[in-house]
Amino acid sequence: MAAPMELSCWGGGWGLPSLHPESLTVMAYAKFSGAPLTVNTINNSWRAPKGDMPVLVSEDTVISQPAKILNFLRKQKYNADYELSAKQGADTLAYIALLEEKLLPALLHTFWIEAENYCSVTKPWFASRIAFPLSLYVPGKMSREALNRILLTKGGPPLYSLTEVEAQIYRDAKECLNLLSKRLGTSQFFFGDTPTTLDAFVFGFLAPIYKVCFPRVQLQEHLKQLPNLCRFCDDILTCYFRLTVSGHSPAGQDTADANLQKLTQLVNKESNLIEKMDDNLRRSPQHPPRKLTTLKLAAGGEESSPMSRLSP
Amino acid sequence: SSLSTAAEPWPENAALYQQLKDEQILLSDNASSLAVQAFLQMCNLPVRVICRANAEYMSPSGKLPFIHVGNQVVSELGPIVQFVKAKGHSLSDGLDEVQKAEMKAYMELVNNMLLTAELYLQWCDDVTVEEITHPRYGSPYPWPLNRILSYQKQWEVRRKMKAIEWAGKTLEQVLEDVDQCCHALSQRLGTQPYFFNKPTELDALVFGHLFTILTTQLITDELSEKVKNYSNLTAFCRRIEQQYFGGQEKESPTTAAPPAKRSLLR
Repeated sequence: MAAPMELSCWGGGWGLPSLHPESLTVMAYAKFSGAPLTVNTINNSWRAPKGDMPVLVSEDTVISQPAKILNFLRKQKYNADYELSAKQGADTLAYIALLEEKLLPALLHTFWIEAENYCSVTKPWFASRIAFPLSLYVPGKMSREALNRILLTKGGPPLYSLTEVEAQIYRDAKECLNLLSKRLGTSQFFFGDTPTTLDAFVFGFLAPIYKVCFPRVQLQEHLKQLPNLCRFCDDILTCYFRLTVSGHSPAGQDTADANLQKLTQLVNKESNLIEKMDDNLRRSPQHPPRKLTTLKLAAGGEESSPMSRLSP
Repeated sequence: SSLSTAAEPWPENAALYQQLKDEQILLSDNASSLAVQAFLQMCNLPVRVICRANAEYMSPSGKLPFIHVGNQVVSELGPIVQFVKAKGHSLSDGLDEVQKAEMKAYMELVNNMLLTAELYLQWCDDVTVEEITHPRYGSPYPWPLNRILSYQKQWEVRRKMKAIEWAGKTLEQVLEDVDQCCHALSQRLGTQPYFFNKPTELDALVFGHLFTILTTQLITDELSEKVKNYSNLTAFCRRIEQQYFGGQEKESPTTAAPPAKRSLLR
């Protein structure tokens, strides 16, 4: 069949397979289109990142930007947009442009420029995944590039100070989130019931905002007021990334695991009671209760999964 | 101040400022100016076009075009649309929320791909820069100021291209992106006369860029050929031109019969 494909990208945390929006977009697309990718997350023992992540290597081809990687996957017949009409394909391009112009600056700002966020979360996380001594240099470089990008694209007059630029980009980002929420409405994905390229991009941009725990979270708070977008992210995480285990778990992940253990015990007690009640009902043609033992196997996974199993 | 904006009706002497049409203006600025002119025409708001060599420096944001209405100065299509809306004129009021989201997304597509491609072509393609851009951009000024100003602008634009990762693209890749964008616009337009059921700012923006690309003579025809591949887009441009620029000689963006190639540059 197709040649084996390897994706090098930044790893994950807080329940996400990757923290990096572009890496996450590619991983999501691969899941949606069924492309068999071997994912190598960057950690200390891996080769130092040569350039921008994510990078796809297949035989001798090395491809580096998400749009190009997705094109390559489509050429290999892994096409998540197969059933889209031409107009929907055009809409995809337009909405991706909207994400890049209106949401990406604020996303970059939250991760790389907001001082508290950068110093307490982003920098330590990335530095721990790069070999010394590059770990001293690369996060700073990424932060400078992010600031540069924001200032050059959004920072002209009549906005003269960084605070004005920040206010503008967050306004734009919140408006963009509102527009996405209106466009998604009550459907499961942006174009009906199957996820497509646009879903991969939206997920890639939204999930880090949604899940990563920063000290300064104005964008996350705004996002949480849009329940259909939150549900969209959670659905993709539970359906497509259920078995992902990240290489390193930050502290947040550990407490989540401890909570998960306690919750599992409580739930198992409940399930024993329910089983006894169900013995009486076994004569009627009903499904036996789903065994909840699978919860113990979900390592480093979803704190949301026991909740979704409990609700009918 | 938005209250006072709304209170005053649109004055007779509203003016739109751009660079000198025949010698100085570049592809991207011409496109933006035409988009604003089309938008104002669609809103039925009269405006005079005034060409000044120092228009770029007069603009509050450094970007063109800008309009001078009453005692307010507003630049670029986005803020101008907001300003006009505050005065009670809007083309997109009839759209529902999902359509408004779509309109905004397509406007970002045009800015993200078409405008950036125009900027790339005129400031990062060495042949075009040498033969067209430098002579035109600095034309109102004496040597050495003309060279200094245009090198400064070139450096600024190239920095931005590098930040958004376009600097590494080849001309072929940029033309590919233009083609992709035109394909998307063509698909979205289909056989309808406008992108939505009546003209909106999206139609004005698309017209501004596509018409300028079609009627501007550059070093090669490659850019305009990409647009010409889509017959519904060329028909769209012709239709908007006839409808909104046909009757008035002064406001007409062309000086002879459409849709022949015209030398707006060179």
